[in-house]
Amino acid sequence: MTEYKMFEGCTIGNRIPFIEAASRKVFEKLNIQTSQAPFSCCPDPTGMKSFDNNAWLAIGARNLCLAEEENKDIISLCNGCTNTLRGVKHQLNHDSSKKERINLELSKIGREYKGTIDVKHFVDVLKDKSDEIKNLITKHLTGLNIACHPGCHYMRPSEWMESDDPMRPMNLKEIVSLTGANVINYDVEALCCGSAVHNAYEEYGALILKEKLDAIKKAGADVICVNCPACFQQFDTQQRNLTKNFEKEYNIPILYLTELLALAMGMSPDEIGLKFHRVRLNSVIEKLGL
Amino acid sequence: MIDFEFRKQVMDYHMGSDIIKYCYQCSRCTDYCPVSKVTKDFYGTTGYDPRKNILNALLGYKEAIFNSDSLTIWGCTVCDTCDELCPQNIELTEIFTFLKNESIIKGEGPDFLYSQAKAIFDTAKAIPSQSAIERRRQQLDLPAVLSPNVDEIKTLLKNIGLDKKLKED
Ligand code: SF4
Ligand code: SF4
Repeated sequence: MTEYKMFEGCTIGNRIPFIEAASRKVFEKLNIQTSQAPFSCCPDPTGMKSFDNNAWLAIGARNLCLAEEENKDIISLCNGCTNTLRGVKHQLNHDSSKKERINLELSKIGREYKGTIDVKHFVDVLKDKSDEIKNLITKHLTGLNIACHPGCHYMRPSEWMESDDPMRPMNLKEIVSLTGANVINYDVEALCCGSAVHNAYEEYGALILKEKLDAIKKAGADVICVNCPACFQQFDTQQRNLTKNFEKEYNIPILYLTELLALAMGMSPDEIGLKFHRVRLNSVIEKLGL
Repeated sequence: MIDFEFRKQVMDYHMGSDIIKYCYQCSRCTDYCPVSKVTKDFYGTTGYDPRKNILNALLGYKEAIFNSDSLTIWGCTVCDTCDELCPQNIELTEIFTFLKNESIIKGEGPDFLYSQAKAIFDTAKAIPSQSAIERRRQQLDLPAVLSPNVDEIKTLLKNIGLDKKLKED
């Protein structure tokens, strides 16, 4: 049985841990085994990479070293962490001078990057377990209209993510449809949530988010399903501001893929901490009769 | 004014070496950029424009990039759409990473990035652990997050010179 090193990441681990709770429960049902490691920040592919690419490479490579030392692949719960760890691997494996430079720095702390382990986004691990997921569904989510938002860094840049079609992603939709829910199509499915630019220019982040939400509203979604904590936060915390600033109601509940699966596998909303969401899920819970 | 040194740095930065010179200004990057869409006016004279950045970088017009509104560099939300759609396979975001890294050295980046880097330097996490969240993790039956080796991260970052780019808060 493969055991993965769990990379929960800063946002899930230290801000919205209820997502980790749902994820661990779903993994347990599916016999996906994980163990912990003292990983640092990944670090953020839109943050530290923009600040100092060498620091991004060095910290990322050190995290990879920790998993390499145990000879285990990493399973990541976050688009950003997966993007960084796979991106660092890609740059170091394809650029020998970068690899030499980073390994020189790592040698000063007694480590060496070899490139022996793989980094997997949890969506890709779940995708390979479609049959098992299907067999574990006890509560069919029939009648629930779900808009899927996989987020940019799950599939782009395709050169190093190697996960899905970069502009017409399908994996999240396919997994969600296993629950019996109605996956709805909408315009701009591959569009960004606006999270990264929001930090520097709030108004532009909000406009991008609005474009996305307007399309989702128009398509008649009851809920938005995501697989990235940064997107989750952007959707869950910013809708109230949009409502205020644009005088139009934005109040669509968000579910992380593993929360959705947990519900479909018969777990209760309380058990997985759905009460910690900002946008209330009452409408979803009612519709499903939970 | 053409800055030849800057031009050379740009050419050398790209992983596929000097592939940037094959940009033929088709503007597909800008046409699909979500930030351009919400910032540009009808004629495209104002707002964020990745095509223009590639042109100025390629020609070595350093001032045109660095001596203008900070949106020129920092408008990018790193959605990686332009990388996918560029018909010439130019990894635009790698060039933009170089521009952003240079802007940070000049101390001209957005504040939140300096605070994020400081948090990582001090605690090895972008979001340090807090006691309220630790309690919530217990309520949710989650194991405690294992503490990273902060000293090791500090040594690594000091040797790379990251500490010199931080700002006092
Ligand atoms: S899409 Fe590529 S070739 Fe076209 S303008 Fe942008 S960088 Fe140049
Ligand atoms: S990566 Fe940046 S420049 Fe490219 S399309 Fe996205 S926001 Fe625009």
